Amino acid sequence: MCAVPLSEEQLWEVSADFVADGLDRNERVLYFDDGTAEGVLNRLSDDHVAFERPLRTGQLAIVPPEATRAIFHTTLPEARAMMLEHIDGSTAAGYAGFRMTGQMSHGVDRQWPATFVEYDRELDRLVRERGITALCVYDRRRYSDEQIERMRDVHRKELSVPTAYDDGLLRVVRTGPTSARLAGEVDHSNRPAIARLLETTLDDALRSHSAPTDIELNLASLRFIDVASAVSLVHAAEGFPDTHRLVLIDVRPGVLRVLDRCGAPFAAQLTVREFEGSADGALRGPGPVAGSGRHAAGPGSTSGDGPSPGNDDTGRNNGYPDLREAR
Amino acid sequence: MRVETTRTAAPVRLQHACAVYSSSADLVEQATPVVAEAARRGEAVVLSVRPETEARLRDAAGSARVVALGAGTPARSSGQTTAARLARELRELTSQCGAVLAVSEHDSALDGIDGRYWTELDAAVNVALTDLPVSMFCFYPEMPLHSEILDGAIANHPLLFEAGRLHVNADHRPPRDVLAGMPAAPPVLLGAPDLDMVFSAWQLHEVRAAVADLAAATAFDTARSEDVVLAVNEIATNAVEHGSGEARIALWIAGDGLVAEIHDTGESLAEPLPGLRAPHPADPRGRGVWIARQLCDVLHVWRDRSGTHVRMHAAP
Repeated sequence: MCAVPLSEEQLWEVSADFVADGLDRNERVLYFDDGTAEGVLNRLSDDHVAFERPLRTGQLAIVPPEATRAIFHTTLPEARAMMLEHIDGSTAAGYAGFRMTGQMSHGVDRQWPATFVEYDRELDRLVRERGITALCVYDRRRYSDEQIERMRDVHRKELSVPTAYDDGLLRVVRTGPTSARLAGEVDHSNRPAIARLLETTLDDALRSHSAPTDIELNLASLRFIDVASAVSLVHAAEGFPDTHRLVLIDVRPGVLRVLDRCGAPFAAQLTVREFEGSADGALRGPGPVAGSGRHAAGPGSTSGDGPSPGNDDTGRNNGYPDLREAR
Repeated sequence: MRVETTRTAAPVRLQHACAVYSSSADLVEQATPVVAEAARRGEAVVLSVRPETEARLRDAAGSARVVALGAGTPARSSGQTTAARLARELRELTSQCGAVLAVSEHDSALDGIDGRYWTELDAAVNVALTDLPVSMFCFYPEMPLHSEILDGAIANHPLLFEAGRLHVNADHRPPRDVLAGMPAAPPVLLGAPDLDMVFSAWQLHEVRAAVADLAAATAFDTARSEDVVLAVNEIATNAVEHGSGEARIALWIAGDGLVAEIHDTGESLAEPLPGLRAPHPADPRGRGVWIARQLCDVLHVWRDRSGTHVRMHAAP
């Protein structure tokens, strides 16, 4: 399957979800890094996914950029042999399966499209023959439109994530009738997007009697907020009807300091919950982290009917899946 | 939306008085009864004076609480920065122990080329301390090296202290008027910056990334680095929001921290001394510069024909 993210933020989101899903299913996960692993790991920790222990045990492995690039310098049979070794190794080690993702864009720089498509076809064969899961990520920064269209056509499934807003700096995803997740940075350039989001979300909440009275924004991946935006969040909460609250969850320390300086502690209808870093994976064990709710399906609980993260979505977030399949 | 007024029923006002002395002995003689009287009322006494003067006035204060404001880290000849720091310390002190008497003495080492530091300082004090229960007595020499110092002092102080009595100064003018005649001076020029870039509102994230990179290269810890990035972001935002839409930033990194200069060709900061007064919670504007001032060791705003300029210095 493939994904075509709009932004780095979405690339991290999609990749982290894919990795977390593999860890949940007790699969071995291989990440071919070429400059994005750090962002994906950061996103995993934002998502409260304990990845430290899987990294230590080898359940999650990150292939360094040089090694990722080197694949495209080896012959096809050599690359296939290497992959088979990985796959057989994970079975021997007792993992429930094998999945891989990462940045393969180095391949398109060389002899596009012949080599790249061949490698992809070979990978596809492994997916069919050996039941592994592979997520190919084609983003517009690393691939041209033509390349993306061509690669889209040769993949059977495309993951698409419902996006409320994404300008490359800030990404907003609706996660429920009155909740959303923000990732990236808010400043003077995209401040109105937040105001609109709050307005429409509150409007939805007020119109529906069954909707929760808490408007919840998850700020785990919000790395910067400027003063005027923080002030507007505080003012928005103060402007809510008495029945409703604005709840900011998983707020990073830096963002929290800005909110504090902008009067957040004095706004009665604003609740701010600080991000509590995921403790060392060794303490919590691999797989689902209590309280996260996102990857709560433990290993073995899935039917294993195909390489599709997201088909165990029942009950997650009231029918707002993190990943939704298109095509 | 909440509707409130910033006015309180019984406004506390700064009492800002100017006094002139002929000699150090004269200064001590004039200030002693003022300090003694404040001590009798149970007020704390804040001194920003030369060491010899300080020793004598401590005697006068007796058992009253005395706080000496040393030079500390230099404000780099930015009167507005000195006033902002003074306001921060006095706000804390007055919240603890009520009314405060402050005595300051002219120090020619801070005159700079034309002494306008003092005019800027007193104008900024009028803005920054306006809502604090502080009586501030500023002592100036009869014959300063630069006559502008005394002209500025007379224009800036609503009260004059003469022959042991306070009276209203007929020549007092508001800060904006005073600064129109004698605007804040540009700071000392620095060498070639480590980074120089032109930016618009859509490139503020690049400005932040540049500041974060430089801060990471020195002794800034994560929290301090984030605060400095925020401070620079706020000034940069002002420059593109109210200026011509495009502004320039220059960054220097040195052993004693990070220096940022932001230039725009418009009137991005309409007030002559922005960010000195705490913004009201219901006021959406003006908080950025206020917060930036709290986070920086120096924040100096000056204006000339080419536009508005801000220099910020932040130590780790």
